[in-house]
Amino acid sequence: MAYSEKVVDHYNDPRNVGSLDKNDKNTGTGLVGAPECGDVMKLQIQVNPDTNEIVDAKFKTFGCGSAIASSSLATEWVKGKSIDEAMSIKNTEIVEELSLPPVKIHCSVLAEDAIKAAISDYRKRKED
Amino acid sequence: MTYKHTSCQSCGDSLISPLFCFSCNSLQNISDDLNHFEVMGLYRCFEIDSGKLESLYQRLTLEMHPDFFGAAPEEQKQLSEKYSVMLNAAYSALSEPASRATYLLSLFARGKNLQTEKLPEGFLQEMFFFQESLDEILESDDQSALRKMNEDLQKRYIFIESNFANLFKQLETSPESTEILQQLQIQLNTERYLRRLLNRINP
Repeated sequence: MAYSEKVVDHYNDPRNVGSLDKNDKNTGTGLVGAPECGDVMKLQIQVNPDTNEIVDAKFKTFGCGSAIASSSLATEWVKGKSIDEAMSIKNTEIVEELSLPPVKIHCSVLAEDAIKAAISDYRKRKED
Repeated sequence: MTYKHTSCQSCGDSLISPLFCFSCNSLQNISDDLNHFEVMGLYRCFEIDSGKLESLYQRLTLEMHPDFFGAAPEEQKQLSEKYSVMLNAAYSALSEPASRATYLLSLFARGKNLQTEKLPEGFLQEMFFFQESLDEILESDDQSALRKMNEDLQKRYIFIESNFANLFKQLETSPESTEILQQLQIQLNTERYLRRLLNRINP
């Protein structure tokens, strides 16, 4: 199967790989997996608590090229958005942007889940 | 759970596989709803004789190959193609323990609502940690740490396979138990993460 140019670009040059301090009160961490293939994806956000804006995002994914590209793109997209805006990012937008074939749609679902998990982790830790 | 050995429609000899008679070399007429176990003449069971499966697969592949039916009547030609496809699908579903477990679970779980992505508590964190450690080990080319991790993961993998066997055995006495089915689904989910790690260590 041939990867699209954008997938290859993100795969060769992934944006925002790394970690944020998960104990920092203004971060949120989402760790998700896809049992059908064994991929694991960690996506973290750093939020400005005054504006609710996502000021930084990092990811680390162990998976195929499409999973890496999906999470790389997800970090690019959430940066600069409010957490509510980021919450509304749909996997179908990732599919479209990266021209993912049907067998790789679950990679985009994983990225959407990771964003949501990171945001809910941030919100939960804010309440505590 | 029962598989009935049937007789050949041409010569009456008993059949090893319902697809083909080795005694008189004739393709059989079968119903369309045979599952993979039935195609291979096996009981619907996790523990199978893999040597038998392998040799039956090879024999049937040879005997039913569409090339041998080039001059046969159109109907026979089509049957040989259809059965070859069925044979390959059955073999690839049953030959490996994990895929066999997946398939067998799908037969038992029909109409049941299982949580298909469920994992043991903390499992994903652990897998992520393993993957990150493996990155470091591979980068530093630490062969002894790599061997150690390989051994640990192999052990866990073997443990999962023995869980398959045990859980399917329990299912034989209570085939409707959603709890056992869910346990099997969880074991299958963990299998893929471990396999992923093992494939990285042993490419």
